[in-house]
Amino acid sequence: MINPFSPFPKRKDGIHVSLGAPERSILTDLLQQLITLIQGGDTSDAAMTRLFPAAYADDEEASAEFRRLTGDDLAQGKVENAKAVLRTLGKDRKVPLDTSEEQAWLRTLTDLRLTLASRLGVTPDGTIPAKDAATRVSENVYDWLGFLQESLVRTLVR
Amino acid sequence: MTLDETDTRLSVAPDVPWVTLVWDDPVNLMSYVSYVFKTYFNYPADEAERLMLQVHTKGRAVVATGGRERMEMHVEALHGYGLWATVQKADE
Repeated sequence: MINPFSPFPKRKDGIHVSLGAPERSILTDLLQQLITLIQGGDTSDAAMTRLFPAAYADDEEASAEFRRLTGDDLAQGKVENAKAVLRTLGKDRKVPLDTSEEQAWLRTLTDLRLTLASRLGVTPDGTIPAKDAATRVSENVYDWLGFLQESLVRTLVR
Repeated sequence: MTLDETDTRLSVAPDVPWVTLVWDDPVNLMSYVSYVFKTYFNYPADEAERLMLQVHTKGRAVVATGGRERMEMHVEALHGYGLWATVQKADE
């Protein structure tokens, strides 16, 4: 059954992206920021630490070695996902996502949420501490990204 | 198989298996975590759901056991999905 309110409606030919121009514009902006963040490679940035966590909980040396071996590929993969999603946002809306684009969307929505959560200082129990006006805007965007992701996962598992 | 061959195989086998752990985080959606366990590890839906709930309620879950290299490969893939995963010796 087609859910007319889903941002990712599943039709006979596949999953489509049903977002208006303002939503596409917000995502485009966020994705460009994400690409800049990852390519900047600032390992002291908390968001980067969450995007590329230590592979060993209590072995810094092994974690550093893992990072040396996998860091570039992981970063490149995340940038490629973001770029793939940017391309689908500019594509003809009648064309459905292909399988790799679906995966790129899923993973990039995750990376965006991880980054935003880090910026907002989301606590381990999931609450957001400060509540100034700018934070509230970001919080709404964060919730909206969660809604997009939940919708896409539901569509994919259906 | 000669005894020598057996010995060689035993000597290269890892003494202690390693595990891949996935840790709870406040960001990743429960539905997404289940989805990743199901699609990446090919776990049946109910096992993926059980592991996801274990991550959520206990703070972490062992999602794979085996050789160190293979566990590192899983961790790399899980970081690609944005999950918080680590490798450690099974007995730690």
